[in-house]
Amino acid sequence: MALQKYFEIAIKSLTERGLRSWLTIIGIIIGVAAIVSLISIGQGMQEVIDEQFKKVGANRIIISPGGIFFGPLGSELVSAQLTKDDADFIKKIRGVEAAIGVVTKTIQVRFDDETKTLSIFGVPTDSEAIAQIKTIGFFEIEKGREFTQSDRYVAILGNIIAYDTFEKNITTGKKIRIEDETFTVVGIQKRAGTGIHDMIIRIPEDVARALFDEPEMVSTIFATAKEGFDVGEVAEDIKVKLRKKRDVKEGEEDFTVQTAEQSIESFKTILGVVQTVLAGIAAISLLVGGVGIMTTMYTSVIERTNEIGLMKAVGAKNSNILLLFLIESGLIGIVGGGLGLLIGFGMAKIAEIIAQAFGVGLRISTNIWIILGALLFAFIVGSVSGFVPARTASKMKPVDALRAK
Amino acid sequence: MIQDYMKIVFRSLVERGIRTWLTMIGIFIGIAAVVSLVSLGQGLQESISEQFEMMGVNAVLVTPGGPLFGIGGGAELTDDDLKVIEKVRGVQDVAGMLFKYSQVKFKDEIITTAVIGLPTDESADILLSMQNFQIAQGRFIKKKDKAKVVVGYLLAQGDVFDKPVELRDKIEIEGEDYTVIGSIVEIGNPADDSQVYVSIEQARIIFNEPKKYDIFWVRTLPGFDTATVAERIKKDLRTSRDLEEGDEDFSVETSEGLREAYVSVFAVVSAVVIGLAAISLFVGGIGIMNTMYTSVLERTPEVGVMKAIGAKNSHILSLFLLESGFLGAVGGAVGIIVGIALSNLITYGAAAAGWTFIKASFPWYLIVGSFAFSFIVGSIAGTLPAMQAAKLKPVEALRYE
Repeated sequence: MALQKYFEIAIKSLTERGLRSWLTIIGIIIGVAAIVSLISIGQGMQEVIDEQFKKVGANRIIISPGGIFFGPLGSELVSAQLTKDDADFIKKIRGVEAAIGVVTKTIQVRFDDETKTLSIFGVPTDSEAIAQIKTIGFFEIEKGREFTQSDRYVAILGNIIAYDTFEKNITTGKKIRIEDETFTVVGIQKRAGTGIHDMIIRIPEDVARALFDEPEMVSTIFATAKEGFDVGEVAEDIKVKLRKKRDVKEGEEDFTVQTAEQSIESFKTILGVVQTVLAGIAAISLLVGGVGIMTTMYTSVIERTNEIGLMKAVGAKNSNILLLFLIESGLIGIVGGGLGLLIGFGMAKIAEIIAQAFGVGLRISTNIWIILGALLFAFIVGSVSGFVPARTASKMKPVDALRAK
Repeated sequence: MIQDYMKIVFRSLVERGIRTWLTMIGIFIGIAAVVSLVSLGQGLQESISEQFEMMGVNAVLVTPGGPLFGIGGGAELTDDDLKVIEKVRGVQDVAGMLFKYSQVKFKDEIITTAVIGLPTDESADILLSMQNFQIAQGRFIKKKDKAKVVVGYLLAQGDVFDKPVELRDKIEIEGEDYTVIGSIVEIGNPADDSQVYVSIEQARIIFNEPKKYDIFWVRTLPGFDTATVAERIKKDLRTSRDLEEGDEDFSVETSEGLREAYVSVFAVVSAVVIGLAAISLFVGGIGIMNTMYTSVLERTPEVGVMKAIGAKNSHILSLFLLESGFLGAVGGAVGIIVGIALSNLITYGAAAAGWTFIKASFPWYLIVGSFAFSFIVGSIAGTLPAMQAAKLKPVEALRYE
């Protein structure tokens, strides 16, 4: 029998049952839609993170004191400290292009009679360091200029600090007070969109050290690998050599060396776990939908017992009957999957529009794998749920089936 | 009469055998998921509340930076601030603490954990009056103690290092040896239970922090409203730090305020998760509707006979509604039992991993509510099919093949 015939019979059986077929399909639609919308939103988030990562640059290595949970601003919570000496030491390691030690502190800043507590980054202003900073997308200048070697009491502001922190906007040329010193604003950064980079004030390192009374301490070291060197290997090399310099054993490091990629990865892993848990809970409804298909298929088998008897009497094999019912249940699954896919994308799109209206940079993303995966999965759910009823049908004895009322 | 209804309903359900069971499974999965998630969420929320209650209703926390312990950021709190707070009307005493994440070494093993400097004057009583901050072995730190340390529950249990840390053992913090003089009872989560405690004087030396405090724990006098005292602390600190209202670089929270903040965040998260789980209940309801339509079709001639011998529309309607409600209720009951079993299983698993504050809780309204809800889902799902059955014309129903 031609495959086409199987489909004709299966479709006829589904349309005959009209409303009930649709109810079964709706069960699958709901589950698939929930999962697809969750995954496409999660996928979009991952892409946004990847874009941020490109701004940092693939050849960055970040060295921070203590464990991995604390970024540059968390260094105040950790007892271990890195020093200027460590930064100079790292600079000399083979494969390292540059290493910039940054000293940070959260401190009161005054502008136009308003006082706020903000994060100050003391950054080196030698020509080498400035050249490095210019390559970091987060620190791009929108107005004014980058530091020069001779700069002393000047500041470059993150975008949010300039425009959304104090009541009045701060423009270049204005003066701000940090502790007891007055600084002239010479530059304002482009909005990085990451929060942290938009919320900092950069001042020259030497001035910062004097201001904070921190002659040696370095909060974070930002290193760059030379072109042609493997970033991961350079990072490992830094780890080994720094361990030796600080006289600690392997596994007992009081510092962390991470490539930009690793730090992004660890964040993506957390996001992935959350996404999996949510999608898993949503998948329960797909399981229930599958049970619904099974119920429907049992009904279908019972209602068509006579038909099965007739088919068998005129020579249909067990395998023919099995295939017939499997195609019917698979069809329910795939139609439900297809419609669920469309509705799922629709819901995710609505979520995206609503989020953007509230200023949240949520974006959805789809690829061929989500589409194929959802369809295949729905088809499998349909076939698996249909298998037991289909086997029941295929094993009927022709005589009994014909005689059944 | 109702007995007759029940008999007919039962017969119809039993006749359809496996299909009846499958329909019930649809509801049972959804209810089990919802019950276990709600009971775990409820239990977690109770544990969180308990932790805050142990702080006492008269506790006020002052921290640098934003609320809920924002990492980094914020001003440094110092002795000057301590003095300001002590003078606020309604304040009984203030405990200032200092902590840093640091490497702790015991018999050649190193871990990174929080080392907490605690006050040794009368204000230490604020901490020691809490139920879950009691000395299990040995004694608490005294002012004159040098190089003495009190360890958390898991350290004393031997769950952190290979061997349990015992009284008079030596552990190394930042290269200096400290003698263990006591251990604390179990607090309930691995992070808190693997901390070590020294006197704040010692902590200042270890971390080279001569002035700084990371947190002030304030106890208010009996008879004063905690929230009012907190407001006063905020105002006085603002004045002494020369800040405008709304520009605070520190945060003042009452234990009650913190509890509410946690609970409301928690409520949003659990609503999302339970909402997702409830989708499956909806799908289960659609399954019941489907089954009921089938049931109506299969029993059309029967309905015809009933009507021919005098059954009213309302009789037929209640017959089918009862059937679908029954499907929902039985599915729900099984689901509740499975859900309870599931969350107990998770509770035991979590406890084995040291997370003793994950405890499932089954308030009566959860049980009654889910049972009622599953019955309602069943009935609603059955309404349309039952109405279709009720409206059948006797002649046509009898003639139906």
